Amino acid sequence: MGCWFSKKSKRKSPEKEPTPKTVEDKANSSNANNIDLCSNTTEDPPKQYSWDKREKVDPKDFMLTGLKDATVGRLPGKLNGQQFVIQDCDNCKIFVLDHSATITIDDCTNCCIVMGPVKGSVFFRDCKDIKCVVACQQFRTRDCQKMEVFLCCATQPIIEASTGMKFGCFQYYYPELAFHFKDAGLSIFNNNWSNVHDFTPVSGETNWSLLPEDTVVLDHVPAPDLESEFKSVRISAEASRSIVPMTKGGRRKESDESCLFVFFSGDYTTANARKLIDEASGKGFVLIQTKEVSMRPEDVSRVFQNDAEGLLEWITNGPVTALELNGDGVVEACKSMASDMFSGTKVFVSDNRNTSSRDVDNFFNFADMQMGL
Amino acid sequence: EGEKGSHRGLLSVLQKLKGTTESVELRIVLLGLDNAGKTTLLKSLASEDINTITPTQGFNIKSVASHGMKLNVWDIGGQRKIRPFWKKYLENTDLLIYVIDSADKKRFEETGLELEELIDEENLKGVPVLIFANKQDLATASPASEIAEGLNLHTYRDRQWQIQACSAVSGEGVQDGMNWICNNIVNKKK
Repeated sequence: MGCWFSKKSKRKSPEKEPTPKTVEDKANSSNANNIDLCSNTTEDPPKQYSWDKREKVDPKDFMLTGLKDATVGRLPGKLNGQQFVIQDCDNCKIFVLDHSATITIDDCTNCCIVMGPVKGSVFFRDCKDIKCVVACQQFRTRDCQKMEVFLCCATQPIIEASTGMKFGCFQYYYPELAFHFKDAGLSIFNNNWSNVHDFTPVSGETNWSLLPEDTVVLDHVPAPDLESEFKSVRISAEASRSIVPMTKGGRRKESDESCLFVFFSGDYTTANARKLIDEASGKGFVLIQTKEVSMRPEDVSRVFQNDAEGLLEWITNGPVTALELNGDGVVEACKSMASDMFSGTKVFVSDNRNTSSRDVDNFFNFADMQMGL
Repeated sequence: EGEKGSHRGLLSVLQKLKGTTESVELRIVLLGLDNAGKTTLLKSLASEDINTITPTQGFNIKSVASHGMKLNVWDIGGQRKIRPFWKKYLENTDLLIYVIDSADKKRFEETGLELEELIDEENLKGVPVLIFANKQDLATASPASEIAEGLNLHTYRDRQWQIQACSAVSGEGVQDGMNWICNNIVNKKK
């Protein structure tokens, strides 16, 4: 296997390297100069962990390497939460239509990639001319150029040494996708797609920007062609069908009036939230951002202030789902919708348009704090 | 061995023999490439939820109780751009924990080089190092033994070291690494 160090390290060991007795000894050994004065004395026998005991898999089954002009990927159920690696691909259309643990994409050019929900991180390195649809907990790039990303990211996306990066809101559907979000532990309401952190900003330039709001996803990330192995998957990229609600995010708001609408945890929270979003959109209001987050009693008083009383008992069942809706007259409209559609459900709605901005700020500032340590 | 290190070890032994409950406080620096799993490890050590962790932009710091010791752990962001800042956190470090993504073969050489540079740092002279070969749960993960070989750990003559296989997301292997820290500090050779 050899040594990954530079030649410089050779000077540290002029004598011949001793060969280890066994692989396990080397794995769990430290050097010999510790005198054990604790009661657990001699070196423990090498320990067996779950990864030692489980059935061995072939790493190649989880990798796509060196492909060109191909339509490839994984059908639903074929990856099942494992890691996936994509490298050295050119002019490919890649569909990873299952949930995964983490995905790295290296040295790819001119590819369209759809990634089902990723429990951990998605990390692009040394890629160029990529268009992708991604749902993940963390989104990272390094040394990339010219990418278009339709993103659902649970935390703040980051880029490093990357240019020409464009971001839009995740917009995708296939039948198993909602289940894959659950399997990956991702909430469709936690999407920080538009607030990107750049580790290498360049003064006078921007390395990233937001895609136009009316961008048609399938024009950039086409559906699989009908002769491919993916022909049986009913894919849609229409905004109204998207598993992740479309949010305006950091784009400039059209109205000064916003409203905070919070659903407390219950059996139909997700369905109710979607129902409200559809109804509000139909009336011409715009969804700015959403969050699904757990609250403790002390958070309730800080976030809801004068309205906190009476809400305390509702936060113990599970996370709350909060929405910011925007548009002239949105507060009155939300209050009507709450009484028309959700009279039997516990909700919080901003009371008037003079205090509603403060409600929104209080809630979403609190929610952002939960992402950090 | 660094004089400071052996003094501290001796002190701990004396405290144990005297049966005092006064605890040792250690300054630990947690380093490794970006995406290695440092912050997940930190939260795992603190028995906290690891479902939503954001890439570290500066650093995180936590105090964790372990084996009657108080560990002050500094988790520093590992992006290439901010690695030059690592050395600013190294003064008075009692232990280096270095985290490696065992399933990111593409970057093994890069992480080896960064570790090599750290070991050369004046502020880390004689300081023990615990290497976590993390993400062992993943399909393409290399075993800790291969990683140890690639890092040439057996050439470290001037300090205590240990490599520990783990999966920070599940916590498996993490306590074993922490046990080594306890044993190492208490048992440091004069």
